[in-house]
Amino acid sequence: MLLAFRCALASERVSAAAIEANEFPQLSQEMGVYAVPRIVVDGEPRWDGAVPEAEFIRRITAGAETNGP
Amino acid sequence: MGVVRAEDEVKIRGWFAELDRPVELLVALGPEEAPPAGAGDMDFGAETLRLAEGLAALGESVTCRVEEEPPGFPRFPSISIRPDGRDAGVRYDGLPWGYEMGSLVGGVVEAGRSESSLRPESITALEELDRDLTLDVFVTPT
Repeated sequence: MLLAFRCALASERVSAAAIEANEFPQLSQEMGVYAVPRIVVDGEPRWDGAVPEAEFIRRITAGAETNGP
Repeated sequence: MGVVRAEDEVKIRGWFAELDRPVELLVALGPEEAPPAGAGDMDFGAETLRLAEGLAALGESVTCRVEEEPPGFPRFPSISIRPDGRDAGVRYDGLPWGYEMGSLVGGVVEAGRSESSLRPESITALEELDRDLTLDVFVTPT
């Protein structure tokens, strides 16, 4: 989660929200949240789980390989 | 009652004392989704405000204020983490209890830095973005 916050604080282009999945069940269902953290980029579920910083940046900026649905 | 354990409070006070710039926690309250199963009669908005106020009490550079249904918040309750009181697009939607309290504290510490803790190559990659990015990270308290 912190990586997303750090990206938003470092770039005016990026915004980041942590969403407590249990408290927003409808949205969580729409995003297919079965494992956390689930990372959603521009409204599209992308992957589950923590990844190292370099890989996180690569995935959000290039929109490349994911293991999401 | 404090919002964190005594041993954590000491650490957090230390981190907050080292902030380079003020950080505001804007607690946004408004209509909430139906409470999750097992939540009983918990008032999530009130508890979120109590938690944010409790955190703000741990550092002179951290402040807290509350607004009812401010614009730009898709869900309530929510906490906007604001360096120098500026909306930097950083929110925690929901009650950051349990393990996720660490995310909120970490967000405050990062917002209080004058320089990002990201690696230089990460900052360069973000600077090269030619479009806006919205990151939503779904989390749970445990």
